[in-house]
Amino acid sequence: MAHPDLATRKAKRSTGRPDAPGPGLRVLLTTGASDAHTWNLVHLQLFLEEAGHSVLNLGPCVPERLLVDTVELTRPDLIVFSSVNGHGHLDGLRAAHALDANPLTRGIPKVIGGRLGITAGEGEAERRTALLAAGFDEVHPDGAGPEPLLGRLAALAGAADARLAA
Amino acid sequence: MSGPGGGRPWRAADLGAFVQSAARDGELVVQPRMGMARPQDMAAGVAAVAALAERTVATITLDSYTRVGDHAAAAEAIRSAQPLNGFPLVSHGPETSARVAAQAGPDTPVQVRHGSADPRAIFRTMVAAGLTASEGGPVSYCLPYGRTPLAESVTAWREAVRQLATDTRARGARAHLETFGGCLLGQLCPPSLLVAVSVLEALFFVQNGITSVSLSYAQQTHADQDAGALTALRLLADELLPAGTDRHLVLYTYMGVFPRTPEGARLLLARSTDLAVRGGAQRIIVKTEAEAHRIPTLGENLAALRRAAARARAARSGPAPAPAIDGPDTYEVLTEARALVTAVLSLADDVGTALLRAFHRGILDVPYCLHPDNRGGSRSVIADDGRLRWAAHGAMPLFTTGTRNGTVTADRLAAMLRRTADLHDLEARPAEEPRPGVPAAPPRRPRRIVVVGTGPRGLSVLERLAARAAERPAGNPVRVQLVDPYPAGPGRVWRTDQSPWFLMNTAACEVTMFSGPADDGPARPGAGPSLAEWWAGHDPEHADPDGYAPRAVYGAYLEYVTARITATLPPDLTVEHVPARVLSADRVPGTGEDGGTGYRLRLDRGDVLTADRLVLATGHPAVEPSDEQNALVAFAAAHPPLRCIVGESAADMPLALIPPGSAVGVLGMGLTFYDVLAELTLGRGGRFQESDTGLRYLPSGREPRIVPASRSGVPLMTRGVNQKSPGHRYRAVLFTPERMAALRAAGPVDFHAAVLPWLMAEINLVLLGTRVRRAAGAAAAEEFTERVRAAHARPPAARPEPPEPAALARTAAEYGADTRTIADLSSLARPFAGRRFRSAAEYRTALAEHLRADLDEAGMGNLGGPLKSACDTLRDVRQTIRGVVDFGGLTPTSHQRFLHEFAPLAALVSTGPPPLRSEQFLALMDAGVLDPVGPRARFQPDQANGCFTVASDQVDAPGTRLDTLIDARVPSTDLRADRDPLIRGLIADGTIRTFVNSWAGHSFDTGGLASTDAPFHPVRACGTVEHGMHVIGIPSEHTRWFTQVGSGRPGPWGSFTRDADDIARALLEPLPGPAAPAARPADAVAGGSTG
Repeated sequence: MAHPDLATRKAKRSTGRPDAPGPGLRVLLTTGASDAHTWNLVHLQLFLEEAGHSVLNLGPCVPERLLVDTVELTRPDLIVFSSVNGHGHLDGLRAAHALDANPLTRGIPKVIGGRLGITAGEGEAERRTALLAAGFDEVHPDGAGPEPLLGRLAALAGAADARLAA
Repeated sequence: MSGPGGGRPWRAADLGAFVQSAARDGELVVQPRMGMARPQDMAAGVAAVAALAERTVATITLDSYTRVGDHAAAAEAIRSAQPLNGFPLVSHGPETSARVAAQAGPDTPVQVRHGSADPRAIFRTMVAAGLTASEGGPVSYCLPYGRTPLAESVTAWREAVRQLATDTRARGARAHLETFGGCLLGQLCPPSLLVAVSVLEALFFVQNGITSVSLSYAQQTHADQDAGALTALRLLADELLPAGTDRHLVLYTYMGVFPRTPEGARLLLARSTDLAVRGGAQRIIVKTEAEAHRIPTLGENLAALRRAAARARAARSGPAPAPAIDGPDTYEVLTEARALVTAVLSLADDVGTALLRAFHRGILDVPYCLHPDNRGGSRSVIADDGRLRWAAHGAMPLFTTGTRNGTVTADRLAAMLRRTADLHDLEARPAEEPRPGVPAAPPRRPRRIVVVGTGPRGLSVLERLAARAAERPAGNPVRVQLVDPYPAGPGRVWRTDQSPWFLMNTAACEVTMFSGPADDGPARPGAGPSLAEWWAGHDPEHADPDGYAPRAVYGAYLEYVTARITATLPPDLTVEHVPARVLSADRVPGTGEDGGTGYRLRLDRGDVLTADRLVLATGHPAVEPSDEQNALVAFAAAHPPLRCIVGESAADMPLALIPPGSAVGVLGMGLTFYDVLAELTLGRGGRFQESDTGLRYLPSGREPRIVPASRSGVPLMTRGVNQKSPGHRYRAVLFTPERMAALRAAGPVDFHAAVLPWLMAEINLVLLGTRVRRAAGAAAAEEFTERVRAAHARPPAARPEPPEPAALARTAAEYGADTRTIADLSSLARPFAGRRFRSAAEYRTALAEHLRADLDEAGMGNLGGPLKSACDTLRDVRQTIRGVVDFGGLTPTSHQRFLHEFAPLAALVSTGPPPLRSEQFLALMDAGVLDPVGPRARFQPDQANGCFTVASDQVDAPGTRLDTLIDARVPSTDLRADRDPLIRGLIADGTIRTFVNSWAGHSFDTGGLASTDAPFHPVRACGTVEHGMHVIGIPSEHTRWFTQVGSGRPGPWGSFTRDADDIARALLEPLPGPAAPAARPADAVAGGSTG
């Protein structure tokens, strides 16, 4: 059963610019259950839409249950987890475990980025290792721009084309 | 200090009363954001804030576990000594909290700040601890953070507020709640929505039992807009909160991304304090220099409080008066906020329910808010001028402005979020903090240009301004406000709702408002269609490129041009039409650019505009009626149904009231007369029909009898059929600009002695040359003209005499041409001068003959017909005449004679109507509808019969009795008799003055506005130049000649476009510094100080 939020979320679903180049992919944008920040999510949404992709933005404080239900229901091409409140590594691990526990959401690519720990630099390598081990495909450090996301999306689009051609 | 151990429970000071008392003493209450986890730390903080000498409110900010209601987690954190980002009030419990709060003492209020969507537990603990003041709101503490459903938040808040009000009252105290609605997401919410939510949350509090509230507003991106928003917030609160509700305004120092440097942070803090004072907030919640980096220390908080209080005191007592805040920003915010609040309150009696429905329907829609219950259809931007504006407003009941403000991209969003921080870091870097009391100029404030009057002249300036700004971006933003109660473009004279019978006086193909021809691109400043081209596309059925368009059609074209300009503005230029009348323009030092003098414009609708530059394009003057006119009007008023109509244009006259069959006298036979004539005949259903003997009039029977009269007894001379292409430019042979410039350079000129002979020689040269061409062919005509040119091609220094008409005639005779010449313009324009008519019939016959002959000449055209070619020369050389006459080129005596003799004659000869109008004149005479009186007619009140009479001094006929008298003479510019309060005020203040032509002991007050040559700055009463102001068009008539031109011409620029371009260029340049030379050549400053 989908979370009741989904009904209202549809209104915010964007289809991207009609004239955008290339095939637009479907990106689910989410954050940690404890993270109330939204400007990072708004900015990422605009950025991805401008690149021609479709974005479903779950907004702030996303409980794991809502995330898993939404992914199961919408089957996005990529999950982007962005957090800036310093609890991103903990929230991110919980999210990854929850997604992994469901066979329908397990295989969907996911990346995480932002200010993931309270202390910058210190413990960054450990956090990165743990998050990759938990199933994230990429971990972007604080201060990295959103541009690498486009490369990941392009690779995913290429893979999709190859599958279709095969 | 009475602590809780003193037997009586400690009770916090009443926040509302405390702030009111400070406000009465002229003090701004300052308050920190401060929350410590450990009771002893929090207590120390409260005590330190209370101990300051300033008027302070102490703050207890709660931690985020408590905010989300996870009191167990907070308790666990306390137990395990983990850090918390605030004071866990509920977990500590009422007793501990009371002990902490009591450190404020009996006089300093303490406020609990929390951020919770469900404050029930917090409020309960507060009350039990003796605390009475808190803040928040069902919307502002729900939407921005997390995803608690709004309905849950409203329910929780409703219950919490009621409980707080009741329990506090039961303890003999008064609860105070502050709205957080003035902040919402902290950044990028347009002020109107902040004000609306702040007011709605206050209403929610009051409806649930609270009697003391404060309304918040968070500093945004633009000082003027923020000051306007605070004013709007106060006005709306006064309007909507029940009488007796204690209330004040609280300002939050900027809540978005904070400057990173201490200097930048201090600058932003200082400006927030200035804003609080200017906007009338009674309390401010400050931030610290450490805001961008970490939670501030107690010391940093105390320093920020002291600095804010000192700054506020300095701002209050400082020398600079607070700029007008009843201006357009207030108006705009108030209008939008009121629309939002009204729409919300109409949804339900219960404010909480109304808020829920409002968000559900998108009537409130917070931009960029991702909360599931927010609709997400709105977008905001920081506009070029630094103000927050809507880029999309979703379903909110607001007017769309989005397309003006552009779309939001990721890059733009990122830049907008950082903008305030970056600007302040940048601005504060090289310099120290401005001295207290001297508010620094806001960053990149746009240059504010106000154009008063937006008919063709005002529009021409805008067109050139936009074209220049598009060619070369100015770097600095420019805001243009077009102030005119009539639509921008047409203005009053060309408004589109006037009678279709009123025609222009220039062929459509000779009219354009674009300063360059249309090209492949969209129509835009510098490249767009002429009136004829536009008309052909707009209304192909009726368009007639060589014909004369109805004024209403030109008005529609002007609207189109305005729309094209505003649709294609470069990014740094904004344009706004302000539908109002300017009542006064005061020079206010310190309000202009770089602290210079600006203008404060008071509008008839009650608000005020501030301008750095002012363009006066006020057009046709509204002058006081003369004594003679007053007497006639008074006589008519005393003898109903007699009527006397004195109007500036036919469109303003109540012509529909004139009864059929009544006798209407018309004073003047100029262009307004033709409008009146058309409206009273064609406009009443009459028709003209071609017949063998010329045009015939078929009356409708509803016409009055029209009895016109003028000094000459003849109407304006008919314009020759146009044979000149739009690009045609006549090159004078004798009356050359070089010759006239040389003449003028020698000092003030006697026009009739030195200029007019050359002009008449040129006119006769064209007359004879055309006749030679008709008699002997084009080659002969060319040879004739060349011979005359060669004979007078000696250097101007030799000051040759102009050729006598007789000498020209002798040369022309060699080609077998008719050699009659034009001795003077008067003989053409006033053919009946000195002639006696023995009856009215004799006069009418002579008039008809004169008109038919004139029509025959006109039929030959303005290139092929000798007479009309000659007359048209006056139009061709108009600019050369201006070169001699304008800005004091003539001696006072000659100038007076020029205006009284030459100017009216030139108008009679060269500005007449197209042939069709003269044919209609004849047909109407034949039909008995039109009954001209004769030369030198006099209109008089007839006391005995209670009517007006008119009679000609040169016609032996009894006077004609009239039921209505229309004065159809266009009043001439005379600032001394101007009824416009703006002009009167400017003259009274000495900002402008009339041009008094003075030379060699003579002087002549022209009544026109004295100005410099390009870019046409007014000359002040004291003789200095008013550099911030420009004047264009009719107000400067007499200082300049023939300014009543309402359109540009296609092809090379004429003076209409050049004047506009000169002003546009100056508007985009910085003002000269105060050290700029005031002295200019006497002929450049038409102030007349020579002699």
